[in-house]
Amino acid sequence: MIPQLLIHLLFGLGVGTLLAYLFSMRGDTRYTVVARSGYYGICGGLLIVAVWQMVNIVTHNFDVSYVYGYSSRELASPFLYATFYAGQEGSFMLWTIMTAAFGVVLLPYVRRNGYESHVMVFYTLILSFLLLMMVVKNPFAFLWETYAKDGTTREYIDSIRNDLSRYNGKGLNPVLQNRWIMIHPPILFAGFASMSIPFVLGMAALVKKQYREWIDLALPWALAACGILGFGIMLGGFWAYVTLGWGGFWAWDPVENSSLIPWLICVALVHTMLVQQRTQGLIKTNFTLATLAFVAVLYSTFLTRSGVLGDTSVHAFVEPGFFIYLLLLIILGTFIVLGVGMIIWRWKDIVRHNAPFAKTSREFALSLGSSVLLASAVIVTLGTSYPIIAEVLKQPKVAVEPSFYNLTHVPVLIVMLLLNAASLSLSWKVTDIAVFRRRLLHSLVTGLLAAVVARLLGVTEVSWLMLVFAAWTSLRINGELAFRLLKRAPGKAGAYISHFGISLLVLGVIATAGYTQTDHVRMVEGTSVNSMGYTLTFLGKQQVEREYKDREKFEYLIRVDHGSTSTMVKPILYYSDFNKRQSPFLEPGIYWTVAKDLYVSPKALDSEGKPSEISIMKNTSAPCPFDSATIVELQRFDMSEAQQSEMEGYLKLAVIATIRRPDTTLERKLYCYTNGTAFVPIYVSIPGSTMKVGVKKIVRNNADPSQSTATFAFSDSTRPATMVREVFIADVSTKPLINLVWIGVITMVLGFGVSMGRQKSMRTRETEQPQQS
Amino acid sequence: MKPRYIVGAVIAVICFAGSLWLVQSSTIEYTTVAKAVELKKRVTIKGTWKKSEESSYDTEKNIFRFVMTDDESKDVKVEFEGSKPNNFELAESIVVKGRMENGVFVASDILTKCPSKYEGTNSMKPTAAR
Repeated sequence: MIPQLLIHLLFGLGVGTLLAYLFSMRGDTRYTVVARSGYYGICGGLLIVAVWQMVNIVTHNFDVSYVYGYSSRELASPFLYATFYAGQEGSFMLWTIMTAAFGVVLLPYVRRNGYESHVMVFYTLILSFLLLMMVVKNPFAFLWETYAKDGTTREYIDSIRNDLSRYNGKGLNPVLQNRWIMIHPPILFAGFASMSIPFVLGMAALVKKQYREWIDLALPWALAACGILGFGIMLGGFWAYVTLGWGGFWAWDPVENSSLIPWLICVALVHTMLVQQRTQGLIKTNFTLATLAFVAVLYSTFLTRSGVLGDTSVHAFVEPGFFIYLLLLIILGTFIVLGVGMIIWRWKDIVRHNAPFAKTSREFALSLGSSVLLASAVIVTLGTSYPIIAEVLKQPKVAVEPSFYNLTHVPVLIVMLLLNAASLSLSWKVTDIAVFRRRLLHSLVTGLLAAVVARLLGVTEVSWLMLVFAAWTSLRINGELAFRLLKRAPGKAGAYISHFGISLLVLGVIATAGYTQTDHVRMVEGTSVNSMGYTLTFLGKQQVEREYKDREKFEYLIRVDHGSTSTMVKPILYYSDFNKRQSPFLEPGIYWTVAKDLYVSPKALDSEGKPSEISIMKNTSAPCPFDSATIVELQRFDMSEAQQSEMEGYLKLAVIATIRRPDTTLERKLYCYTNGTAFVPIYVSIPGSTMKVGVKKIVRNNADPSQSTATFAFSDSTRPATMVREVFIADVSTKPLINLVWIGVITMVLGFGVSMGRQKSMRTRETEQPQQS
Repeated sequence: MKPRYIVGAVIAVICFAGSLWLVQSSTIEYTTVAKAVELKKRVTIKGTWKKSEESSYDTEKNIFRFVMTDDESKDVKVEFEGSKPNNFELAESIVVKGRMENGVFVASDILTKCPSKYEGTNSMKPTAAR
C-alpha cells in the first residue's frame, strides 16, 4: 500500500517539478530552487521505492504479485536481486530509476552552463511519463488484486502463508539465470536513459534560440549514450551466444532491433554534431536527429512492450493490457509532436544561421556517412514495423525474415566503411584532390590486397569480397591514424579507435556468418567421434549445483582433442522445476581459441545398450531382456508378510510371477524389502537357465490396483553386467574469428569513451578560459 | 541549394522504395494449415502442440517429429530439422516456419511463446491458489 501510494505521490511531484521548472524559465530563481528540491525529492522517493521492492524480493514476500511472478525461495542470491528487473513492471522501474539517476548528473551540469530550467523542464516531463507508467504498471500489486478474477482472496493467501511449500513464487526462467542478467539489462536501460539527454538539451536550445552552444554540451552525452547502449547491445549478443545454444549472437529479432535503431540514429547524430562543431552547418539536422534518437527509444518500447508484435516476435511481451498500450502510444505521440513542433517553430530562425559546405570536405563525407547510418536505421525500422504496416494495410499477417536485413546491410556496410576511409582522407573545409588521393591510396591498396588474399583463401562471393575490401581499407587508415595519435595525443584517437573496432566487428561477422561449419554428432558414453578435425570424447556427466533442490543440473564432459591440444568443454543439461522438469534447458559448451571457437550445442539424449529391467502391470507379461523366449507375467502382489521383515525398518513385500520358458512354466514368489523409497531385491535363479530374477521396485496405485506395476531386474552369470550407456547428441560447429565480434565492439566502445573524455575536457577548458581572462 | 535537395530526395525515395520492395519479398505469411497446403510456399503457422499424439526425436537424422493443431483446430504432422526446443512443454503456443511437403509440414524454425518467460498472462493462477 505505502510504496504504491508513494509512486502516485512521486508522479504528482514530477508534475509539480515540471510546472516549477516551467515557471522558472522566465528567470524567477525562487521557482528554480523549488523545482530543484522537487527533482531531488523524486530521486529520493524512487530510491525508497526501489529499496522497498528489493526488500520484498529478498524477504520472499510473495503477497506481491511481481515477487511471486519472477522469484522463488530456491533462487540463488545474485539472480534473486536480478528479479528486480526481470519482469515488465520491474524493467519500467529500472528505466525510471536510471533516468532519474542520469538527471542527478545532468542537473548540476546544465546548471553550471545556465541551462537548468530549460533542460530540466523537458527532462522532468520524460521522468513524469515514466512515473505515470509505474503508476499504471504497479510493481507492488498484491496477489489478491492481480488474481482476483481467479478467486484468489486475501484470506486465502493469509491461510497458506505459513505453508512454505505452497507459499512460493513461480521462479525465474532458467534461461535468465545467468550472470549476464546481472549487467545486460541495467546497461541497456542506462543506454535508453542517456538517449534522452541530447534530446532535452536540443529542446532547451530551441527554446533559448541558442543553436550552437548546445552541441558542445550534448556531444559528450551523445557519445556516452552510443558507448553505453552499444556495449549493452553487445552483451545481449554475447549472452545469446554463450547460453542459448543456437550458435549466433544476433537474430534481427524485434527486441534486438529496437535497441539497435536508437543506437544507429545516435551514432549518426554524433557525426552530424561534429560537423556542426567545425562548420556551423547541419543545425536543423542535429535537432532532428536528437529528437529522432529519443523518439526511437520510445517507439521501440512501444513495439516491444505494447503487444503489437506479440504474434511475430519471439520475445516481445505478450498482451500487457490495453491501458499500457494506449499510454505508450500517447507518450510516443507527445514527444513526436513536441520535438517536431519545436523544430518547425524555430525553422525560419535557424535557416538564417546555417552555413553550407564544400563537397570535397570532411564534413560533406561525414554527412553522407550519417545518411548511410540513417538509411540503416530506416531499413531496420521498416523491417521491424512491417508486420504492423501490413496489418494496417489489411494485408495477410506476415513476419520479415532475417535475410532482409542481411541482404540490405551488405551494401550499407560497404558504403559506410568506404565513406569512413574517405572522410578521414579529407580535411575540414576544403581538401586538395591530390592530397586526398595520396592519403587514401595506401588504405585502398591494403583493402585490395586483403580482398585478393580472401579470394585465394576461397571466398568467392563478390559482395563478401567487397566487404572484406571495405573493412580492410577502413581498418588500415584508422589503425594508422590511431597508432600515430596514441603516441602523440591519445585523447584525440577516440574516433579512429571506434572505427577500427567497427572494421574488426565487420570482419568477425563476415567470418562467422559465412564460414561457420556445423556437424551433427552422436556420442556414445566412453567413445570418441571425429568431427571437422576435432576428436570429441564423451566421458560422462557430473551433477552440479546439488545444493539446490529445485533442479538437476548436469555438466556433460566432452574432451576435445585438436592437434596436440586437449581441452574439456562442458555443455549443460538443466532440468528445472520451472517447467516441472519436463524437458531440459540446454546450454552450449564452448572451446575458446583465438582464431576459432568450437561450439558444442546439446540437442538431445539417448541411450544405448539393452536395459536389464522390465516394468509391467498386474496381469500383463513381457519378455526377459536377455532372452525373449522367457516370458514373465505379473500375477499379483502379496503383502501378507509385510510386517515379518528380517530387516529393521523395512517391509517385506512379495510378487507372485509366472515365468514361462519353452520347456516349462513355473510360478515364483519373489521377495523384496523396502523402506518406502529404496528397494532391496532378493534374486532367485530361473531353473534351466543361467539367469536370475528379482523385484527391484513396486509402484502401487491405490486408486486403481490393476495399474500397479512391478519392475523385474535380471542378471545373467554368463554375460558381463549390461550397462545402459548414455548417448549425447549435439550440433558441433566451428566459429571462425568470432572473437573479432566481441573485440570489435569493445574497441568501439572504448573509442566512444576516449572521445567523450576529450569532448568533456575541451568543454571544461572552454568554460575555464573566460574566467581567467 | 534546390537541385541538391531534389537529388537527395530522389535517392532517398529510390532507396526507400527498394527496401520496401525487398521487405515485401522477404516476408513470410502467417497462415493456417489449410492455406499452407494451398499456397505450397514457405509460410508460418501458429498453433499448439497436440500432446496426445506421439512425438519423437530421430537422433540419427536430427529430426523432431510432432503434431500441432493450428488456430482452425486442424492437425498437421510437423518435421523439424533439429531437436525439441527448450521450452516446448511450457509454451502456450508454438510457431513453425516451413512448407508443406507430401502432407507433412517440414519446418526450419520453431519459435515457442512462453507465458512465463516474460510477462505472465492474467489467466495464470498462482500455485498458491491451486
